[in-house]
Amino acid sequence: MTAFWFLFRKECHRFMKVMVQTVVTPLISATLYLLIFGVSLGNQVDMGSAKYLAFLVPGLMMMGLMNNAFQNSASSLVSSKFTGDIEDLGTVPLTRSQIIWAFSLAAVVRGSVVAVMTLIAGEAFYYFQFQEFLAIEHPLWLLYFILVAGLVFGQMGMMTAFWAKTFDQLTAISTFVILPLTYLGGVFLSIHSLPEFWQKASLLNPLFYFINGLRYSVLGSADVDVTQSAGLALLALVVTYVMAIKLLSKVTFTRW
Amino acid sequence: MTDVKSGATPLVIKNVKKTYVSKNGPPVQAVKGVSFEVQPGEIFGLLGPNGAGKTSLISIITGLEKATEGDVEVFGLSVTKNSHLTKKKIGIVPQEMVASGFFNLEELLVYHSGYYGIKSNMPKIQSLLERLKLKEHSHKMMRQLSGGMRRRMMIAKALVHSPKVLVLDEPTAGVDVELRNQLWEFVRQLQQEGVSIVLTTHYLQEAEELCDRVGIINKGELKYVGPTKDIIRDLTTKKVEVKLRSGDPVTFTMAKDQDLGRSLQEHKILVDQIQDMKITEGSLEDAFIKVLHV
Repeated sequence: MTAFWFLFRKECHRFMKVMVQTVVTPLISATLYLLIFGVSLGNQVDMGSAKYLAFLVPGLMMMGLMNNAFQNSASSLVSSKFTGDIEDLGTVPLTRSQIIWAFSLAAVVRGSVVAVMTLIAGEAFYYFQFQEFLAIEHPLWLLYFILVAGLVFGQMGMMTAFWAKTFDQLTAISTFVILPLTYLGGVFLSIHSLPEFWQKASLLNPLFYFINGLRYSVLGSADVDVTQSAGLALLALVVTYVMAIKLLSKVTFTRW
Repeated sequence: MTDVKSGATPLVIKNVKKTYVSKNGPPVQAVKGVSFEVQPGEIFGLLGPNGAGKTSLISIITGLEKATEGDVEVFGLSVTKNSHLTKKKIGIVPQEMVASGFFNLEELLVYHSGYYGIKSNMPKIQSLLERLKLKEHSHKMMRQLSGGMRRRMMIAKALVHSPKVLVLDEPTAGVDVELRNQLWEFVRQLQQEGVSIVLTTHYLQEAEELCDRVGIINKGELKYVGPTKDIIRDLTTKKVEVKLRSGDPVTFTMAKDQDLGRSLQEHKILVDQIQDMKITEGSLEDAFIKVLHV
């Protein structure tokens, strides 16, 4: 347990050492999204009685969480593969599951920090616009989705880093898989505003359920039932964990 | 829970084979059935040219790679079946001086201790930094250190959990004479403390100075294992250079245990004819070359 704890601590300590890159940059991005989409363009989006800014905040929280959880594991392991200190993971008495949990929980921490900072920025914009704070309707569901999404994307980042043979391959997964699925998962718009075909296609996007779940946690309503989102999120966690365990039993901890 | 077996040999390599499968070519057999043992407090030198299989073997001993066949036992426990326990008994100083670029030396050693289950290891860390003359650099990053300091840091990292078996993969490659002597002294101290050491080196003088026994590996096969003194005695010759009173030089070689008088007789040299004579002992380098070319 001590070994796990020290690896977890080291991974958290690592991202805190480069706070500008790991926390401040995503916060600036989220703030710009809030300003441009939430405040400027948001007034022109017709959502009936609902406020677009309130709709946008949980979407941006989940987007920041997923991206940063993924990047935390991926960039740490890839930089270790590059410098060569990844060999430490192979020679010290850490089990595969300890390595997976330490990396993915550290990913949860970084993802949560970004999500909470985005919420704080969102609350500030919301208060400025509506003179009231955005209430969190279901805080326990919020914690659940933050934890599960952070773990899933932390493990995906790990697997990508172990699989990647070059920086290009890592960037390709992030740019051509994670990013489009995030944008098409309902961060900025409800899937009900899409044509019928794309509504059905969106339901096949696993990231949609994480975004939907967090949106329900904050607003109390979402495109699909929260238990369906929660169940599929848990299933995604089981699948990524099994895949990560299998992958780690095959890989060698050797440098590029 | 199984722990290391008391009285067991620190390191036993049992018929280890390692084959690398390549997508673009035929499989490469890097290690072809290597066996040897390392006793308590012994310094064992693993010698061989580049690509001989030394690093593959070390990767298997330290758990970085799995043997295709055979096994390695550390204090009676298999490195494949009980890797969690055997890894706690082994320290590795890799050939390349690598460490995370995010942390200073002290932080690196604290985290590395933690991986071995040691929560509070500051006295040991401070002692290692002191012994390896790194104390004043403890808050620097690895990239801020000179090559020699980095090498010492790698040794500190390997020793942070007080291993009983230490694997040194070319520890003095590229270091100056002064540091090399310091490192040799440090290795001897560890030996006196009972640590069993496996040392790979390209410098045969280093093996001759430090190693109790050596193993010579070439193309994945162990060609020779035995005490360093024996290999020099058995596989080297003495070079005798004689200057005669007539001014003529005569040079010949003789076996280590051969009688000098008889050798002179064989070369028809009388003692009265000798003005000067120089005898050069054979070295491990001579023996190494001989083994590799058998």
